Amino acid sequence: MTSVARAGHLAPYFKASSSVVSNGLKPTVVAYTAPEKVLVHPLPKTTTVQSLHGALPIQGLKAVAGGRGPSHVRFAHTDISYPDFTAYRRKETQDPTAKSSESVDARQSFTYLIAGAGGVAGAYAAKSVVTHFVSSMAAAADVLALAKIEIKLSEIPEGKSVTFKWRGKPLFIRHRTDNEISTEQSVPVESLRDPQHDNQRVQNPKWLVVIGVCTHLGCVPVANAGDFGGYYCPCHGSHYDASGRIRKGPAPLNLEVPQHSFVDEGTLVVG
Amino acid sequence: MSMWATLNRSVFKKTSTFFLAATLGTFFFERTFEVASVAIFESLNKGKLWNDIKHKYEH
Repeated sequence: MTSVARAGHLAPYFKASSSVVSNGLKPTVVAYTAPEKVLVHPLPKTTTVQSLHGALPIQGLKAVAGGRGPSHVRFAHTDISYPDFTAYRRKETQDPTAKSSESVDARQSFTYLIAGAGGVAGAYAAKSVVTHFVSSMAAAADVLALAKIEIKLSEIPEGKSVTFKWRGKPLFIRHRTDNEISTEQSVPVESLRDPQHDNQRVQNPKWLVVIGVCTHLGCVPVANAGDFGGYYCPCHGSHYDASGRIRKGPAPLNLEVPQHSFVDEGTLVVG
Repeated sequence: MSMWATLNRSVFKKTSTFFLAATLGTFFFERTFEVASVAIFESLNKGKLWNDIKHKYEH
């Protein structure tokens, strides 16, 4: 069922409508087609003057409305050029008859591999930056180098206390005699002001390592002096024994034992 | 199934395995990269480094 209506002055409005717009040619000869499907009449055969006149697009638009079926028809703009995206497409997808599922693994794994390589490089860079900034908070290498002192124990004779400078403080290394060791080991801990057994203060009973700063007001005690044969602070009269423990006088605490270790038989490292 | 298909389907497709692979890859990449960098630096500075002149001062 096809109806034709004249609509010359309404032509601009029909362009945007959903109605079918014919090519405006007057149908003089209509070829037989299925009436439901064809909404646009085919071009007439132009054999006579009248049919030639009817074929000219000077008649104004005619709207053709069909009752059923798709109704959108566009004029034949055959001069429209479509952009060619071949240069942007993967080789595998350029052939329209090839199945994309056959090449999907190769295409995707390449993309993922590039992304993964970027991720690896980014993670490495991020780790380097973080490590760099965190390590800048640590002590500098020159400070760390000065923070340790190595002492040759063979240079200290038995019964002597030798003073070294360590981190700006005096450090006493005492080579104790057997007599001193047995005396200090047998001191009852309960009788002390700062109760510490001798074994808690020395690693090797022959060697006492203490910082030579009096715990009272920070004077440097004198070695091998005082009532207990250890150290004596001349400032206010604190007496320390041969284990560096406070025994008499105003000082509240024992002499401080720094972290130290015996690297081998004759070498001591403090720090 | 080709190597790429195996890699794609078992590692890359899942975000969890993808990130795991990237993290593990970073460890090996870091080691390789740093060893290579040090080797290049030492070859460029051959003769100037402590290891090259140590024998003159230590005995």
